[in-house]
Amino acid sequence: MHDGSGLIAVQNLTKQFGSVTAVQNLSFTVSPGSVTGFLGPNGAGKTTTLRMLLGLVKPTSGTATINGRPFHQLGQPGRVVGAVLEAQGFHPNRTARNHLRVYAAAIGVPDAQADQVLGLVGLGTAADRNVGGFSLGMKQRMAVATALLGDPQVLVLDEPANGLDPEGIAWLRNFLQSFARMGRTVLISSHLLAEVEQTVDQVVIVSRGQTMYYGPLDHLRQQQQRRVFVQPSDVGALATALREAGVQALEQLPDGRLAVSGVDAKQVADTALRAGVSIYGIQEEQADLEQIFFRLTSGQFAGHAPAPYQQQQGGWA
Amino acid sequence: MGDLVQAELRKTTTTTLWWALLIPTVLVALGGGLLSGLLGQSIVEVFSSSEAEQLSDALGVTPDQWKFSLLGIGRTINLATMFPLIFGAMAVAGEVGTRTITTTFLTAPSRVHAMAAKLMVYALWGAIYGLAIIGFVALGIVLTSNSGQMPDAGGWAMLALVCVLSSILMTMFGVGLGALIPNSAGVVVLLIMYFLVIENALQLGLRISGVPETAVGFLPNGSVDGLTGSVAVDLFLADAGVVPEEGVYWLRVVAGAGGAQAWWLSGLIFFAWVAAAFGGGWARMTQKDIT
Ligand SMILES: Nc1ncnc2c1ncn2[C@@H]1O[C@H](COP(=O)(O)OP(=O)(O)OP(=O)(O)O)[C@@H](O)[C@H]1O
Ligand SMILES: [Mg+2]
Repeated sequence: MHDGSGLIAVQNLTKQFGSVTAVQNLSFTVSPGSVTGFLGPNGAGKTTTLRMLLGLVKPTSGTATINGRPFHQLGQPGRVVGAVLEAQGFHPNRTARNHLRVYAAAIGVPDAQADQVLGLVGLGTAADRNVGGFSLGMKQRMAVATALLGDPQVLVLDEPANGLDPEGIAWLRNFLQSFARMGRTVLISSHLLAEVEQTVDQVVIVSRGQTMYYGPLDHLRQQQQRRVFVQPSDVGALATALREAGVQALEQLPDGRLAVSGVDAKQVADTALRAGVSIYGIQEEQADLEQIFFRLTSGQFAGHAPAPYQQQQGGWA
Repeated sequence: MGDLVQAELRKTTTTTLWWALLIPTVLVALGGGLLSGLLGQSIVEVFSSSEAEQLSDALGVTPDQWKFSLLGIGRTINLATMFPLIFGAMAVAGEVGTRTITTTFLTAPSRVHAMAAKLMVYALWGAIYGLAIIGFVALGIVLTSNSGQMPDAGGWAMLALVCVLSSILMTMFGVGLGALIPNSAGVVVLLIMYFLVIENALQLGLRISGVPETAVGFLPNGSVDGLTGSVAVDLFLADAGVVPEEGVYWLRVVAGAGGAQAWWLSGLIFFAWVAAAFGGGWARMTQKDIT
């Protein structure tokens, strides 16, 4: 049986679909008590990794375990791990309550649990409606409800915010955070860092099937060097003064400004004052996580800029 | 395992497919029963006319005692079990189509467990369809013919047995094939085409090309048809008095048991086909990447 640790461990995981390497030698662990973001651009291999973790896709090599066991050795998996997946469906002509009762029976929890999770995701009043008539966001809530049926210790969610309204996203964020605070494990994937930035504590960033970064989000923020953009009266004099003060990372921008890395605005202003240089404008660049993310993951399927729009001669061709 | 069986049972009862297919099943069974009864009755009336009686007396046969309606029963069961076949085919193919198969596999200890639970629930449904079929065939015959055209209680019991058996096996065959070809529309069209058109053409081709008649009884429809058809012919012959030798050949063809082995052997042959289909589907479903 599983060890009840709530630990997710992915080790040297590789998946080959024919000639496509979806996931390549991926390793990371996810600990209970925090929300871990699983980030990467489209096609990075997030969905494939989560499906391997959940026993739906067979790895070409490597292992993925929950509570120290591969999925099919969990015994009653519905009570250990709940999953919200993109390609998880519903029978269009089955009611929400009946859908949940089917899987409540499979997991072996009382039928009352079906109504409880429906209430939890805010679908209590739609219980007797066919799921086929649900909106995208309502279906996503249904998927969350299904994942919660077995009161699992681990939650795995693949882009769960898809289709959710702002209220739904806020609810999910709070829910996942309090879920993690209860000492449980949450792994949530997204292709947008901004989408999960306020939810996650840890991140695993993948690109082209490989891990690019793995650790606390705060470390990632600190990795980003601060930059100060300054508009001085005399660029040359300020640059010389800064170099004398030991600041080497200087860059003259085409608009006449100076970009200074590794110092804060106060240091730049003080140096300018000592050098007798006036400052017309100064700006400190915020640690922009999205940019770090972009730098870590760019390359794959990087689209080309669209060709400038040209009016076609002759109108409707 | 009990939990999964209950889940599978709920899957089938919480959508409309079971009765949407049960309605045509019942209509075909009732229609087949009525038609068999009517035809059987009128053939006997023709043979009972005084001229025909003189002729049959001269030939030493007793057609006015022949229970022709029995022959239609086998045919009707064979046609009506197309619906449980389709019901079975939707078991896995339908779930792959709606993508509920993902949740099904996520909530089962293993795919083997999930498939085994389906097997049990669909066997039960096969039996329910089978009972409905024999019930309405019997009703149709009772309404249209007199008791002389009907089998005795033992005969009815035997017919009910092979009907239920045939319905269960057809359902299982559908489950297997639906898992092997997990595309609802594709597998349903394929099954209907095969059982109604392709195999009949194949049987005709075999007969024309001079292959021994018994080859037909080893084909899927030839064997499952033989399971019920052979019993119908056996019951017919048991009460028929004198029947000319080559007449028996045509009786078997009419009853759908042309070239078929004895009923139990036909059942075993079809069971082998079911095992092959189910084994193939099982292997496919336990290996398939669900993406
Ligand atoms: N069943 C499959 N057959 C072939 N290739 C596949 C299959 N599933 C995924 N792939 C390929 O594997 C790669 C990774 O896909 P995956 O769906 O895991 O990416 P993702 O990170 O989830 O992307 P997204 O952000 O768009 O959801 C892609 O190149 C994809 O085309
Ligand atoms: Mg994905």
